[in-house]
Amino acid sequence: MPRQKIVIDPVTRIEGHSKISLHLDEQGRVEEAYFHVTQLRGFEKFCEGRPFYEMPSLMARICGICPVSHLIASAKACDAILAVRIPETAVRLRTVLNLAQIVQSHALSFFYLSSPDLLLGMDSDPALRNIFGVAEAHPEIARDGVRLRQFGQQAIEWLAGKRIHPSWVVPGGVNEPLSAANRDRILAGMPEALAIARRTLDWFKTGMERFREEIRTFANSPTLFMGLVNDKGGLEFYDGKLRFLDAGGHVVQDGVAAADYGEYIGELAHPWTYLKTSYFKPLGYPEGVYRVGPLARLNIIDGCDTPLASQEWAEFRELDRGAVLSSFHYHYARLVEILYALEKIEQLLQAPDILDPNVRALASANQSEGVGVAEAPRGTLMHHYKVDRDGLITWANLIIATGHNNAAMNRGVLQVARHFVQGNKLTEGMLNRVEAVIRAFDPCLSCSTHADGHLALEIDLRAHDGKLLDTLSN
Amino acid sequence: MSRVLILCYGNPLRGDDAFGWRVAERLLECPPDPSIEILCLHQLTPEIMDPLSRSDFAIFIDAAATGDPGAILEHRIDPDPAASAAFTHHATPEALLAGARTLYGRAPEAVMISVAGADFSLGAELSSLVSARLEEAVGAVLRMLPRSAL
Repeated sequence: MPRQKIVIDPVTRIEGHSKISLHLDEQGRVEEAYFHVTQLRGFEKFCEGRPFYEMPSLMARICGICPVSHLIASAKACDAILAVRIPETAVRLRTVLNLAQIVQSHALSFFYLSSPDLLLGMDSDPALRNIFGVAEAHPEIARDGVRLRQFGQQAIEWLAGKRIHPSWVVPGGVNEPLSAANRDRILAGMPEALAIARRTLDWFKTGMERFREEIRTFANSPTLFMGLVNDKGGLEFYDGKLRFLDAGGHVVQDGVAAADYGEYIGELAHPWTYLKTSYFKPLGYPEGVYRVGPLARLNIIDGCDTPLASQEWAEFRELDRGAVLSSFHYHYARLVEILYALEKIEQLLQAPDILDPNVRALASANQSEGVGVAEAPRGTLMHHYKVDRDGLITWANLIIATGHNNAAMNRGVLQVARHFVQGNKLTEGMLNRVEAVIRAFDPCLSCSTHADGHLALEIDLRAHDGKLLDTLSN
Repeated sequence: MSRVLILCYGNPLRGDDAFGWRVAERLLECPPDPSIEILCLHQLTPEIMDPLSRSDFAIFIDAAATGDPGAILEHRIDPDPAASAAFTHHATPEALLAGARTLYGRAPEAVMISVAGADFSLGAELSSLVSARLEEAVGAVLRMLPRSAL
């Protein structure tokens, strides 16, 4: 049989646009797999020449799902350019905002995008395999998903003025203190949100046994893991130092300051995708492939400082002796993080100085360079700017979570495709599993570039001479 | 008191896709009425099912990518779960109405007012063709509201 190629275009239920190519050998077995990001954004170039203080608002436009993450990483890079230490209350408010973003984004990923696979089945009717299908079959779970995302978005609006692309976070802090009324409104919704997070974890853990095959094959291979940890080695979303961990659970690099990321993280480009690939420099590529995001964060930490999430984390870590390797467990980790984020928001909002009016340090550019690193829902996010004497951007580099995960996602697609796809016959269910491994990472290819109209999924199977052998579409 | 939800949606930075937002701005100039809620949205998402279920009448206002540029179309929309098949993380009005009924036990009567756009390129301005129909669309919304409203 001649060599063949299967293309899944677009990959559905992810943020942004991409496609997957599976290359088959003469026996019809999957030989290679590529996850192509087919959109180009160009933010690193077109911000050149703009004043640095515009960056947080401008960079937030990268994404409609996680604008808060870009806002925060960008503002932190600008804080470094100002060379100021921002007020403690501003740090806490930014942290609360970031955690609210974790809640709403994780709720979207888990309930809207992935729960259809988990609740209705990987092989279920694709016309019903969405959140509306979940609403029909499991209305109580769909209601929980809607409510949890509403809570996160509402908290963002009460803190920052609006849900999408707020401009509240600025270089030096935030531009307005939190009101007592808005603090109390967020806290009032907390008991319900916490109850949803806890019962979701309960049903997910109970049903995990049904996905043994997916757990075994969804990007389940040794890689490094990276993320921020706080000064106690605990879970951290806003600040801290970078830690790298190997598959055996051993720390290979610790205490890396944000500004030093370039010494440890290399980037390379592939001709088949617009997404750069990151790797741990001391090991080179591909030995230095690492993962970020919920799974990585729960792997690298020594614990977390909220009571309920701490218990869940301990149970999660029982899954493997070393690091938890299967990317299927991104879902599980996401739920633990929602619980943590809710508990932490409650702690921070109950701090006596959370309403302090001193929330911004004012200065002009005092440094020619700044790096800002924070944990976004999908993983570590890095913004790095250089400015001229007038504070105009001369150079920018962004490393987003999906770039950190790019190599691991490609490995995952190959592993799943080899296990589930046989070249001489296509089934929707097996190709959905190829998509589902990508969905587990929850990649953000930027959701601000939706195409008009119907999102079609079409897979062509062709011989290398171009002859169409099989086709599948929704 | 009858509760009305007006959902104006589109991308305000993509030319005529801002039509719904411009209609909302005009409606918000009217005296506020507690029975009417006006939402400006980039896209329709599943969270909308909750406020939809709490309203008696919903008006969706959008720009359409097809049709004669500037043409205004009004039509009733009904719950239709099948309209959700292409869902990624935005949804159709029909699917949201169906979801509201499934999840919360009720869906309002609903209409769609759409204008066929002429230009969806980057920019905050409506095309002259679509801009010229703005007041007509505002008038159509006002005629649909209960007499006490606005």
